[in-house]
Amino acid sequence: MGNTLQQPFRTAVLVLVWGWLLFLVFTPNLLVVGASVMTRDPSTFISLPMNLDAYRQLLNPLYLDVFLHSLYMAAMTTLICLLIGYPFAWSLSKVARKNRLLLIFLLIVPFWTNSLVRTYALKLILATNGLLNNALMAMGIIDEPMQMLYTEGAVIIGLVYLLLPFMILPLYTVFEDLREDFLRASHDLGAGRWSTFIHVIVPLTLPGVLAGVMLVLLPAMGLFFVPDVLGGSRNLLVGNVIKNQFLDARNWPFGAAASIMLTLAMAFLMFAHRLSKRRIGEDGV
Amino acid sequence: MSRWLPRTYLTLVYLLLYVPIAVLVVFSFNDSRTGYEWGGLSFRWYEALFNNRAMVQAMWNSLWLALSAATVSTLIGALTALALHRYRFRGKQVLNGMLFIVMMSPEIVLAISLLGLFLMVGLQLGYVSLLLAHVTFCLPFVVITVMARLSGFDERLPEAARDLGASDFTMTRTVLIPVIMPALLAGWLLGFTLSLDDVVVSTFVSGPSYEILPLRIYSMVRVGLKPEVNALGTLLLVFSLVMLMLSQWILLRSKR
Amino acid sequence: MKKLALATMLAVGLTGCSSSEETQVLNLYNWSEYMPQEVLDRFTEETGIQVVYTTYDSNEAMYARLKLLDDSAAYDLAVPSTYYVSKMRQEDLLMPIDRSKIEGFDNLSPELVNLDIDPENAYSVPFLWGTTGLGVDTADVDGEVTAWADLWDERFDGRIVLTNDMREVFHVALRVLGHSGNSTDPEHIEEAYERLAELMPSVRTFNSDAPRMPFLEGETDIGMIWNGEAVMGRDALPTLEYVYPEEGIIAWLDSFVIPKNAKNPEAAHKFISFVLKPEISALISEDIGYATPNLAARELLDESVASDRASYPTAEDMVNAEFQTDIGDEALQVYAKYWEKLKSGL
Repeated sequence: MGNTLQQPFRTAVLVLVWGWLLFLVFTPNLLVVGASVMTRDPSTFISLPMNLDAYRQLLNPLYLDVFLHSLYMAAMTTLICLLIGYPFAWSLSKVARKNRLLLIFLLIVPFWTNSLVRTYALKLILATNGLLNNALMAMGIIDEPMQMLYTEGAVIIGLVYLLLPFMILPLYTVFEDLREDFLRASHDLGAGRWSTFIHVIVPLTLPGVLAGVMLVLLPAMGLFFVPDVLGGSRNLLVGNVIKNQFLDARNWPFGAAASIMLTLAMAFLMFAHRLSKRRIGEDGV
Repeated sequence: MSRWLPRTYLTLVYLLLYVPIAVLVVFSFNDSRTGYEWGGLSFRWYEALFNNRAMVQAMWNSLWLALSAATVSTLIGALTALALHRYRFRGKQVLNGMLFIVMMSPEIVLAISLLGLFLMVGLQLGYVSLLLAHVTFCLPFVVITVMARLSGFDERLPEAARDLGASDFTMTRTVLIPVIMPALLAGWLLGFTLSLDDVVVSTFVSGPSYEILPLRIYSMVRVGLKPEVNALGTLLLVFSLVMLMLSQWILLRSKR
Repeated sequence: MKKLALATMLAVGLTGCSSSEETQVLNLYNWSEYMPQEVLDRFTEETGIQVVYTTYDSNEAMYARLKLLDDSAAYDLAVPSTYYVSKMRQEDLLMPIDRSKIEGFDNLSPELVNLDIDPENAYSVPFLWGTTGLGVDTADVDGEVTAWADLWDERFDGRIVLTNDMREVFHVALRVLGHSGNSTDPEHIEEAYERLAELMPSVRTFNSDAPRMPFLEGETDIGMIWNGEAVMGRDALPTLEYVYPEEGIIAWLDSFVIPKNAKNPEAAHKFISFVLKPEISALISEDIGYATPNLAARELLDESVASDRASYPTAEDMVNAEFQTDIGDEALQVYAKYWEKLKSGL
């Protein structure tokens, strides 16, 4: 690497990127950290003196429970998105190149309709008097309407429906790059389909899988209106708690502290995952 | 591998994706104002929509904002990914960490902290503040998508280009950009989708001069979501599909 | 190619709609679709003042924004609900209303002015009002339902909807226990929490964006609903009945207020006067479906609307009715704590 003066492009890129992130991410988050150690104030939201009350409040086991429940819902969502998205992206990469762009756009177009409106459309389908139950009963498959709406399952369906493209698109970009000659080589070397899949395709598409998991798992933790609209009576997720603390309870230090702890907890999970992955990588493949 | 299996699978998933949308389209022609009953075919919601100037204006604002936010975030996001991938510099982990924080921050936290920032620097709330906020929350999506593509990339190519005397900029333009093109498209689409749908952040950083659509839709709950919204969704869908077919047709013709 | 075409269309769309800077502007901050376009058009026609209509989706968000923006807030008129008026007034966020510039104030129902939230209406003018009561689908519920306490009946197991509103849900339990719905006594609140915890297994869902929907979906038979929603829901489900519970209904009132830093308070006063005209108030009430506090306007309403008990309750219906008041920060924290416990099921 040469020195920066000889590389005006490199300098420009780094200045832009650092500038943007420092101004629009670092500074506001400094405000969040600041808010989390202040005292709750009914008329100005936050005020001095500084203390750690907000963090102490977080020790309540209720919040661990909410966190674990959210994590479970987000993980299920991610898993289903992966199961649908992986073969989808793969199939997409097999379509003739001239049609691929069209199909990608066709994939994303439904997501340009407002998500609240689409969530309502899901309700029309899943309700007791809804289209799905009516259709199944008309066909004589079921006698009694099934209870689907306002359940955990409905929330997961809603989350999958909102987040699926965030899994498919990064996967598609790696599949698009998957070179046929690798697969042929593997075949020529006598590997069966399954063996090629495990030893060639999965490792080559792993970066896409990881990216997709990040893009689905993390936002799924924070989406609050899906459980509100589709979920039953016990549906408190992390996103709801934090939003309520800021808006309804107006306890900003606590909301800020909860947000910080959420970020740390998820960062820890990702980090632990990466460590374990690395160890497996050394032993295996 | 046989051809029909992937095709059947693709068709199936597309069908599932479009079923709720189809429901919405059908209900946009429903004369009944509420609920599940079919009240007869009617165009009254389209008529109401065209008379609702504020709603139409908000739709244009939203589209324009999403277009610009997606474009700017793709540009900056791609450069960030390239920097993280190619350059060795101090604080790389800090950069990564900041992107992670953006992804992880609940919307309301992002919203209030960004509003705090804009107030501190005295920025007038409107298009610019919305754009800055939207680009920021779209950024990690672009970076992660581009990074995934870059990670499978043969490192010897840029080295070779450099050895042949290409400057860093030329190398980026001629070697790297073509490689990450699909990821750029994917990132742009994700950014566009995110921006078009955002409510919470926009609630806080928008001003009276620039109102956007999701805000109007969310706020309608007070009087009950009207089928007007379905009509709007249908129009947007038809518009996107027509543009899509048109561009595909032009593309195919120009190749012939 | 596609992008270019889009950009061109957008450019045309944007320039076509920009207004000249000469005209006066009124910045109205309101719920979406809570003011018919026709009213705005007629106001502009009459006064030459352009109305810029921006929306919020909750009182909490509106309050937080006005508070944070402070000096840079550019809104001339906002429409907070019930106790947000007193809260904003006490925190010095509002500008007093100059009654000499308001015409038609005397048309307002004496029962809806001079409330505790704003004595003498020094800072607010009522716009629309409504109630939160019991919705009952008589097709699925046998026998009469007359009280909030009936929700605790075993036969409604899994068939109940509550609004997703902390204050309202506690309000119901507090009334059932014989306390004020605005109680700030931690013991009362805890008692209410315990009562609600018994109810929770029967609750199918919380809904605060369209409480009529769970009834239409066939998911619930009974529960809390706003009167406007009940009226709307009746179109599709004629057996949906709106009941005024014995313990007392929850009443709310949306009022016009002028934020302290309004740039054009003149126009704001003019707009309030305009809305207070009987024919305009009647038009608004018919279009939006909630009741107008304007007695002169009520006479202009269609007989079927004016005599609808769901929209315009009788005096007996309003016995024990209670408006929500600001409970203060300390009590709010207690409510919030129990609300989370309730919803997480711990």
